[in-house]
Formats: sequence, structure tokens, C-alpha cells
Amino acid sequence: MKKEKIRVGDISKNRDEQLLTITGEDMMSLPSPLDKGGFQQLIRPLTEEQRNDYECSLDGVSAIAIPKPKSKEEEDRLVERFLGGLRKLLSQNDNWTFWQQLLLSLESCVRCQTCGEACSIYISSGKQEIYRPTYRAEVLRRIIRKYIKKGGKFFAKVAGDDIDLNWETIARLAELAYRCTICRRCAQWCPLGSDNGLITHELRKLFSQEMGIAPREIHELGTVQQLNVGSSTGITPRALENIISFMEEDIEEKTGKKIMIPFDREGADILLLHNAGEFISWPENIEAFAILFDAANISWTLSSELVGYDAVNYGVWYDDVQLARIAIRHAEVARELKVKRISVGECGHAHKALVVVADRVLSGDLNIPRESVLPLLEDLVCNEKIKLDPKRNDFPVTLHDPCNMVRLMGIVEPQRRIVRKLCPQFREMEPHGVDNYCCGGGSGFAIMSSMNFQDWRESISGRMKLKQILEAFQDVIDPSIHKYVCAPCSNCKGQIRDLLNSHEAWDKYGILYGGLVELIVNAMVDLEKPFIEWEWR
Amino acid sequence: MGLIIIAVFYGSILFCVVASLAKLLKFAKAPLHLRWELYRGSSVYELTDWWTRPHVTSLAKMKSAALDILFLRDFYHRNRGFWYFLYLFHVGLYLLILWHLWLFICAMTIHVDAAPVWGLLWGHVATVLALIGGVGIFIKRMTDEELRAYYTPIHYVKWLFVILTLVEAFYAVQIYFDASMPAVMKYVRQQVAFEDLEMKFHPHMATAAHVLFASAWLIYLPFSHILRLFFRYYHQVRWDDVPNVRGSAVERKVEKLLSQRVGWSAPHIPHGRKWADFSSEQEQGAEE
Ligand code: SF4
Ligand code: SF4
Repeated sequence: MKKEKIRVGDISKNRDEQLLTITGEDMMSLPSPLDKGGFQQLIRPLTEEQRNDYECSLDGVSAIAIPKPKSKEEEDRLVERFLGGLRKLLSQNDNWTFWQQLLLSLESCVRCQTCGEACSIYISSGKQEIYRPTYRAEVLRRIIRKYIKKGGKFFAKVAGDDIDLNWETIARLAELAYRCTICRRCAQWCPLGSDNGLITHELRKLFSQEMGIAPREIHELGTVQQLNVGSSTGITPRALENIISFMEEDIEEKTGKKIMIPFDREGADILLLHNAGEFISWPENIEAFAILFDAANISWTLSSELVGYDAVNYGVWYDDVQLARIAIRHAEVARELKVKRISVGECGHAHKALVVVADRVLSGDLNIPRESVLPLLEDLVCNEKIKLDPKRNDFPVTLHDPCNMVRLMGIVEPQRRIVRKLCPQFREMEPHGVDNYCCGGGSGFAIMSSMNFQDWRESISGRMKLKQILEAFQDVIDPSIHKYVCAPCSNCKGQIRDLLNSHEAWDKYGILYGGLVELIVNAMVDLEKPFIEWEWR
Repeated sequence: MGLIIIAVFYGSILFCVVASLAKLLKFAKAPLHLRWELYRGSSVYELTDWWTRPHVTSLAKMKSAALDILFLRDFYHRNRGFWYFLYLFHVGLYLLILWHLWLFICAMTIHVDAAPVWGLLWGHVATVLALIGGVGIFIKRMTDEELRAYYTPIHYVKWLFVILTLVEAFYAVQIYFDASMPAVMKYVRQQVAFEDLEMKFHPHMATAAHVLFASAWLIYLPFSHILRLFFRYYHQVRWDDVPNVRGSAVERKVEKLLSQRVGWSAPHIPHGRKWADFSSEQEQGAEE
């Protein structure tokens, strides 16, 4: 049965009905060997209790667990707060941080729908209207026209706008702000320069900065925990000490080398910032950096100061105030240590947040040079400052481009030059570079797993990446051939791990994932054993 | 009647200039924003010590902008089906703008009898191209379900107006001026130089309609996306933006903005705090 097309105005209607139900049959098909096996229902429905407690009338998925209001009065209050927030979003003073981009994006769209074809979520879902990049933008535009502009109600009628601002619209819109990874592929595609990813970002800000609505994993357990405890992982400076000594032992065990991981070394050239997720999930990445920098005699240090050992800045996804707080802390740590520069390790959003976005919240002695670590890695590998042997990496490798580093920062080639030089069986995913697809875990999704959201991000937002990975390895899909998806970003690794895991891709197809520096260290000739351990993690 | 048309026409020119300037000024005076740019390929961040390296020049940006505007490159690469008619329309439009410029200059500088015949061909070809493009887009917009869903009725009126304007212009030149370039040029000359007041106050329907259509477009122009496109390139919003270098003008602006109070009121945002107060000493001080 053909589904009826959802229209923009439907977001305010039928409050008790779910706007969209997606089934496996709707979704974009996957290549071999996942092309067979039927269309199973991949997104588990919420339990009765969850449905009663939380808003889920958008698509039956709850990303941010908004409690249902208890009374009509509460709903009205929330609608008023939303409108107040919207006014602030459109004010040059309150929203100086993104006012220009927001206005341009709101005003320049000509509804050509070029952006739809660019969006992996829209395509993967089988072109569900509510996931179209322009859907949430159009809802917002119509609300602004009708409820903010003078004479709006009259002109809305003339213009044929059919939106109503009620709690249902707001609750659905809040969830909808978490059905876009802010990968900004649509913005790159837009001939007019309208940025639907930015509109998502601004909506999230309105909900967080005015209404206190944000996913727990990003706000409470994310930025708030990072500022109070030191890291969004919950690692305290004390716990960090133990982790580091464990890693030093691990390095010795693996390589026979006694390497001290430098901490709080004043006056070092480089303060290296890692996503603290690496300490817990992928310590080999941090170990690999230590081995490589030791071999290359680089003057570097980590920090054990609060926030100084966690590069993440989730603020960039949803809240300018939290963004500024964390960026300022990062710069303060570097200032205290008197380092020459901050180098961001393999974490995409931390790259964009600290090097680019926060550029204009840091001034004076906090304006310390900040850079990506990739050019340095390229220098070590391509200028042969380390002895490396590509034969040690003679297995199929493909490269994932983290949106934040590539499309959003223009760091396209260093990582490619490294893998081309070190991996004889390197093959690109298609498309790649600035045209890449998001892993599906962008903008916080990789760490969001409440209720049935993980099902959604594995089956919808990550679907395109899974397709690309499988396509890249079609000729070597036999599980006895070990394959490596190189993703130089912690969040992307987390998402790719979950994607591969849900299809048992390591056991069934021999596909493993990991970072970039691991490939470099794996090729180091003065290590006896290969550094990469082919086991699932 | 003639007086009204004169008032509308010259009023619309004035309005267009003033409103466009006001709009440009509004954007030019807008506060500096956080950086959120995109990249079309490799950037300076691929280099070690990038802050010591030259950034993208304005010339490179202008070149890219010119190519985009001339060929509608993004539509060509990303949405070919839409590009065909859109491009015809734009080529027609660009040619028509040039034609009008040429006409005004010639009318004031050469003898009207010397008006070249190819001028007529130029004008007609441009009009026909724009017309084919315009009708094509209008039909596409009407019939394509995907396009229709987001296009509110008022926008179709705009395209109808485009088509009407073009048809009327064609009629004026071909029928009213009898396809004679000297006649067209003579009319323009008389109007621009206020040589024939009789005609100004008692215009023929064909020229009056053309003038009224032109007025409507002049009034619309400041609200159109054309003006906004300007900022896409020249105001450093979309493509690689200017880094905040110590001691630079950008830094001075940043400092001013950071001294503003934060106006948002969620629980995690302390009331009355300035952006610059988010340094750790100040936050700790405020908590104690
Ligand atoms: S955002 Fe851009 S690409 Fe998408 S419909 Fe609007 S103008 Fe077209
Ligand atoms: S930013 Fe990415 S996920 Fe969001 S609408 Fe655009 S293309 Fe889709």
C-alpha cells in the first residue's frame, strides 16, 4: 500500500497519531551480502510505558526523552517559552553567534529540493518526507512567518501556510532536530547557500538554551559532566593516572619498549588533545600516538587538568554557551602549560569545534594556535621521518572521511597520502572527500542510545555508511581476508563499531575498524610484532 | 494616469535603491558570527603551522562566485533536470540586462537612425530564451510533486508575472514599435532625456504596461534572493572564513561581542553573565 505523503502542516495535526511509521521495506536496500534476508523490522517499537511517558509522535522513536506535559496549562507555558526562544534566535544580540548564517539560510531557499538527494538520512529512509532536509526548515519558516512576523496570521493565509503552533508541533520539532547529523552535505549541495544542517543546529540551541531540552547523553552526561568532573566519559584526573600507567605497561608488553606518556610537561611544543572516549574504548589509539611521537622525538604532552584531557566539545552540536565554556577551558589549560600549540587528535567534531568554530570565542592570551594532528602525521610518514614498511599493512583498507575534518574544514589529503603510501590495498569509498557521507553518528548520535534511538541510527542514519563499506570490500568479502575501515575520528569509530556489530560484520565478513595512527605504527619497522591486533572490540 | 505611472516608476527606482542599501547595510552591520564555513576541497588546515600561511584570496573567491553566477554550476552538477530551464532563463535574463544597458548607452550616445538591426535580434533572442526557461520552470514547478509540496501558491504568481512581463515586452517591441530598433531607441532617448513630455504624460498602453512591470520588479528586487546571494560569497559566511589573528580587527570585534551579556535563560545559563565570564576563574568566583 502506498503511504500518503506527509505535508509540512501535518506536523501540527493529529496529536495522538504517529506521523510516520518506517518499516524495513521502506528503507534503501543494501548491497551483497546484506541484500538478502528479507526486510526485518529493524526499529523496535517503544514499550507501552515509554509511549505513555515520553513524546514519540514524530516517528515512534525517542532520542531526547521529552516527558509528556501533564496539563494544558503546562503545554501552553511550553509553547510560550518556545516562542520566546524563537525571538531570541532571531535577535542579533542574543544570537550574535549564528544570526547571519541563520538569516541567510531562512531567507535564501528557493525550494528546488536539490538538497534532498544529498541527505543520507532522507535517502536511506526511502525518502520519508519528514527527514527531507527542507522539511524542518520549512516548518520553522512557516512558524516564523505566522507567529513572529507582523500580520503573520493574515499573510500566512495568503501564502497558503498551514501550520499551527501547538505543543504537538514543538515536541515533534524537537525530536526532528535529532534526526539530522548536521553533516551539512545538504548545505554543500545547495546552490543558494542555504544550510539546513545549521537550521537543525539552531533549533537544538533554542531547545537547550531556552527550554533546557537536550539529550541527556550530550548535556548532563556530556558537557555538564565534562566541566564538573573533567571528561564526558566520567574519567576523573585520578582515574586517568591509573589508565595511563596501564597503557604504558600495555605498550611495553606489545612492543618491548618502555615509553613514558608525558603529562603536564610545561613548555612542550604540542599539547595533544584526545577524545577521552579513546582512553576507555580504544586505548591502542593513544598508545600508538605515544609510540610514534617517541620514535619521532617530538616535544609533546598530555594534560591531566580538568577538561584538559578530553578534546570533546559537545557544545558545538547544541549549545553555544557550553561550546564557549569548554573551548575556553581547553585554551586555559594550554596557556597554563605554556605550550606552543594545541594539536587535536583523531576526533572530528573536536577539530571543528576548537580550531574553527571557537576561533571567535578565544581572544588575547587564550588565542593560542590550534591545529589538526593530521598534517604532522603526514609530515612524519611522507617525509620519511620514521622507518615504515607498507608490506606490514598488506590488507584491504578503506578510509572514512569524518565530515567535520573534511567537508567542514578542508582537511582532505593528508590522511589519504598516508594510507596511499602505507596501505598497498587501499581503496576509496564512493563518494569520498568533501562529498563523503556521514557515518550516521554525527552531531552526538554515536553516543546517544536511549530507548530505541540506537535502532534508528543503525538502520537509518548509518545505513549509507554501511552500504559504502560493503561496496568498498565487495571483491574481498570473504571473512578469512581481514579488512580495515580506517576512521580517524572517535565518534565515527563508535558509530562504525555499532553498525558493523549489529550485522556481525567481523565474524561474518572479516571487517574491522580502527584509527589512522594505528596503521602508521603497524608499519613501523622497528616493532617486532604487528601493532594491530585483529580482534573485535 | 500618466502622472501615476511616472510616480510609480521613479518611485520604484528610488525604493529599490534605498531598500537595497538598507538591506545591505543591515547585513554589513550584523555582528560577527562564529565560524561555520564549508570547504570545496583542500584548505590551509592541511598544512603545519597553518596560521603562518596565506589564506584564500578574495580574488579566488570572486572567480569562483563569477563562475557560479555565470553557469549556475551547483545546479548543473547537483540538479541537472532543473538546470536546463533555469539556465535558459538565466542566460535570457543576463542577455536582457545587458541589452537594456546597451540600449540606454546607445540611445544617449549615437544617432537613433544608426541603431543596428542586430540589436533587435539580441533583444528577441534574449526574451525568447528567458520565456522558454520561465515557462519550463513554471510547468516543472506545477507538475513535479516533490517541487510542488514546498512551493506556496504565491510563488507561482511570481512566475506568471515573469512570463507576462516577457510577453508584454516582446509585444511592445515587435508590434507597437513595429520591430524597428530606431523607434525603440528614439523612445528610450526621449524618455531618459525627458525630451517628449507629451508621451511621458500620455503614454501608450504598450509602453505604460512595460514601465509598470519594470516598477513591480524594482520593488521586488530588494526582497529577492539575488541580494542575499551577495553575502554568500562576499560576507564570508559560507566558504572559508577569516581566522581570528591576535591583534587583528576580527579580534577587536570578538572582544566586544564577548563583553555582551548572554540573553538565554535555560537553567544551566546563569542570569546576567557575560560571554567573557566563562573563564574558569570567573565561573568559580561566581559559584562561591
Ligand atoms: S535548501 Fe537549497 S537546495 Fe534545498 S531546496 Fe532550498 S535552495 Fe534548494
Ligand atoms: S545536515 Fe546532513 S543529515 Fe542533516 S539534513 Fe543535511 S544532509 Fe541531512
